[in-house]
Amino acid sequence: MSVEVSRRKFLQGSVALSVAGASAISATNLFSSEHASNKHQPTDSRIPSTITTKTGTGEAVEVATLCEMCVNKCAALARVENGVITKLNPNPMFPKSKNMLCPRGNAGIQAAYDPDRLKYPMIRTGEKGKGQFKRVTWDEAYDAILNGTDKFPGLAKILEEEKDNRSSMLFCAGEGMAEHTFKQFYQAFGSSNWLNHASLCLQTVVSGYGVTLGGYPQSDLDNAEYIIMAGANRAEAIVTPDTMDCFKRTKGRGAKLVCVDPRFTNTAAKADKWLAIKPGTDLAFVLALTYVVFTEELYNKKYVANYFNGLEDYKNSVITNKYTPEWAEKITGIKAKDIYTIAREFMMHAPKAIYYPGRRSTFATNDFQLRRAQAIFQALGGGIDTKGGLIFGKKLKLGKHEGLEPLYARAEARAVSKKDHPKKGESGYDDCAIVSGGGSWIAWRNRYLEDRMPYKVRGMFCYKHNPMMNMPNTKKTAQMLKKMDLVVTIDTMPSDTVMYADVVLPECTYLERTDPVKTFGGVEPSIAVRNKVIDPLFETKPVRDILRGLTEKISKPLFEITKKYDEDVQDELEDSDEAEVYAEFDLTLPFEGTQEEVNHHMVASVYGEEAAHKLHKDGVFYPDMDKFYKKIGANEHQYYPEKEKAYSVRGGKPKTPSGKVECNIANLASKGVDPMPVWKDEYNFKVEEGKFRLLTGRHAQFTQSGTSNNSMLHDLIMTNFIWINQRVADKKGIKFGDMIEVSSKTGSTRLKAYPTEKIGPDTLFFIHGFGEESSELTWAYKNGGNDNAVIEDVVEPVYGAAAMHETNVEIRKV
Amino acid sequence: MMANYAMAFDYKLCINCHACEVACKEENGIDLGAKNHRLWIDEDGETEGDFWNLARDKITFIQMQCQECQDAPCLKACPNGAIYIDDNGIVRLYKEKCDLTLACMKACPYDARYIDEKNAITDKCIFCADTRLARGETTTACQITCPAKLRYFGDLDDEESEISKILRERKHFTLKPELGTKPKLFYLE
Repeated sequence: MSVEVSRRKFLQGSVALSVAGASAISATNLFSSEHASNKHQPTDSRIPSTITTKTGTGEAVEVATLCEMCVNKCAALARVENGVITKLNPNPMFPKSKNMLCPRGNAGIQAAYDPDRLKYPMIRTGEKGKGQFKRVTWDEAYDAILNGTDKFPGLAKILEEEKDNRSSMLFCAGEGMAEHTFKQFYQAFGSSNWLNHASLCLQTVVSGYGVTLGGYPQSDLDNAEYIIMAGANRAEAIVTPDTMDCFKRTKGRGAKLVCVDPRFTNTAAKADKWLAIKPGTDLAFVLALTYVVFTEELYNKKYVANYFNGLEDYKNSVITNKYTPEWAEKITGIKAKDIYTIAREFMMHAPKAIYYPGRRSTFATNDFQLRRAQAIFQALGGGIDTKGGLIFGKKLKLGKHEGLEPLYARAEARAVSKKDHPKKGESGYDDCAIVSGGGSWIAWRNRYLEDRMPYKVRGMFCYKHNPMMNMPNTKKTAQMLKKMDLVVTIDTMPSDTVMYADVVLPECTYLERTDPVKTFGGVEPSIAVRNKVIDPLFETKPVRDILRGLTEKISKPLFEITKKYDEDVQDELEDSDEAEVYAEFDLTLPFEGTQEEVNHHMVASVYGEEAAHKLHKDGVFYPDMDKFYKKIGANEHQYYPEKEKAYSVRGGKPKTPSGKVECNIANLASKGVDPMPVWKDEYNFKVEEGKFRLLTGRHAQFTQSGTSNNSMLHDLIMTNFIWINQRVADKKGIKFGDMIEVSSKTGSTRLKAYPTEKIGPDTLFFIHGFGEESSELTWAYKNGGNDNAVIEDVVEPVYGAAAMHETNVEIRKV
Repeated sequence: MMANYAMAFDYKLCINCHACEVACKEENGIDLGAKNHRLWIDEDGETEGDFWNLARDKITFIQMQCQECQDAPCLKACPNGAIYIDDNGIVRLYKEKCDLTLACMKACPYDARYIDEKNAITDKCIFCADTRLARGETTTACQITCPAKLRYFGDLDDEESEISKILRERKHFTLKPELGTKPKLFYLE
């Protein structure tokens, strides 16, 4: 074959996403002249003067770390020369990421040396949300959190006025290895209000698989012969090892990949078959696959006999509801004959066949039922806990370390509002059927705005989390932040959320801190650690040190308030010495000692001293690593010999309490949730004339708003574009690069057009994470469109997750 | 230590993620800017037809960079004799002899060169010769980081090297063979 080579000038990366002829950043020196103000002048010799630093041939130190450019935690080896990180290389020893770093992982250096980073503690001086702060010392910042300023009240005043109701402070966090550290602060503080990314992320998929199979499984894409990847985009939303394992085996190399997506993604391009589908109708597709399997008796009879509960009920439901491929064709747009073929092919290859669970946000309100239907379909082929199917894998143990969870008598329970008189078969809560550990972010926010709280919530601590960008309806989030008396943010960047803070505590980036050691389960289990590569820059600190300093400041004064209001503590003090009682309420306890010491103990206590040292040095450890790990080619390593791999750890038995796949869950019915996956008319894809369904998603070069200001990634993808069907664009006179305003009931945003046939005529798409409003972000400020300014806050009914693909929008050329 | 370095691409495995490009820029200190890169990914082929009937088999991602021609047009074109082939078989530049005539850029049929404004030279991929190879490493930044693991880098003169073996075992082609430039970058079928 031959390949036409076009000229470099026309080859600016992926045509789909980047701009041809985009203006380049020509400056070689980021920290001077044209780029911005004096804030970018380097004063520290440890900060490089140029964006990229050519690696040298002299002395260098190599430090094993884990990436934090997304949630994957791939292993990296950082090269440090004269105190400057000059390169991040993949660490070949980690079975999860198998010697690779993606573009974001490679660009991690720019997260550390981002000139816009938060550099020192700040407190608000101007109007809330205007981003007017003054630089203060750490002690002054801690003092402002405790005692407030003339602009905002501190914790002492709030807890005094709320009579020691610790739940009057909300704690929220984004995903990360140090989320655990922050959560220890939440637990010690004694609040019941915890919100994390789960309801904006993978709550429904984890729970759907959880209640059906007893766990959220991994996929053995390395050995599967047939893969259905629906609503997941592994070529662009990179997940290790899935992305690596999947695409090396498609197109005649051992596995057939069927991609189902309302967009023609890179995954579609790399798949053996792509099926366009109407958004939000995947459940009908799975039900029809299941129908074929039931009516043609294609399922694994032995597996089903051993490990299914409620099979007959489900079979009856699917058959009597006539979920035929012909029925599904009308709903999904996928041809009936394709559905027959896929169901048959899947079961022919099962158990080495995978309906890929995915790990994305909730898109449609039926997502929980979709995931249940997927899990049951998968199990019908017997591909559970087995090579080439979904696997539970093995997890290596870690030692324990001390936490602190004092009981405060006056701390109210979580601020969910229960219905006064729920009818039988109805959810007991206002917003959703089940309240999960991570809570429902948008339901909580909306309840707070509408004064539907059982008590007053006065303030919040926000760690590595950007509610202004990460959840639907940005306007409401801004109102919530304004309404809070005290907002404390711990972050690395001046994000849109940080702009609404009263106190800003600057954390160092992942390359400047050691995080809690983590065990990674799977077919090839291991333990890995994020070691500090360089000392924190500026006045930043790891969150652990921040919380140590803060708790040293607030612990005793807040205990005085507890003494005043807490009857239990008062009783205890009558019989015991105050020091003894205080020890249970000493907030500093979880942060004693260094992270390195804690990690060492957690590993050495189980695997011995040598293992702990090895882990620190190599970044990765597992028993018998010396024996098993070897290089077997330029691009391949052995981590475990085949016979040592944990493909099957329970002989195929699901992890549910019953040990069976649960098809029909009565307990769900009692909460007003369908006990079995069924289709409802309200799930049908509907768009009014002249409107479009808005889709959002990810790609390989950015991780949501967290990387939006990364200079290197910005250089690859200058901005986000809105995908609009070519024929529709032609009719509307919209050309590539035209500015488009997208609007809904929620609000509007503007970005440039990318007409293409890779998207259907009634849908639009653009990448999440762009269009930030913080003027402190050189590259991200007002760059492209913000999806959450437009997406409506539709609450998924089971777990209260944000349903991201339920918004119809209008567009106009501006 | 002398070698005859070359690279082979299992090019169909590419997912167009640009990890190679970032790794290269960070390793070799390449300036930002859309036109500044030693390597890039060419998206070849277009989808055809309307959305519900999209023909798409032609879409391929091709890894592009200096093809390390054994009969290099750039070398012959340079009026200053600034271009040479080093001991490892890599087309290199005497930086001090380059005065930006751009003859090499015009001569290159693969468009592999760009102007490095910082150093006032024309630059291109040199297999990390003055960074990784100079340190005694035997990998390039792009090869080691690639999530698709599609790059094979090694010594053609060593019959036991992985690249030699893979070129013996698998069909491959070079770009624009009709020009007779004898590239040392091979694309595996």
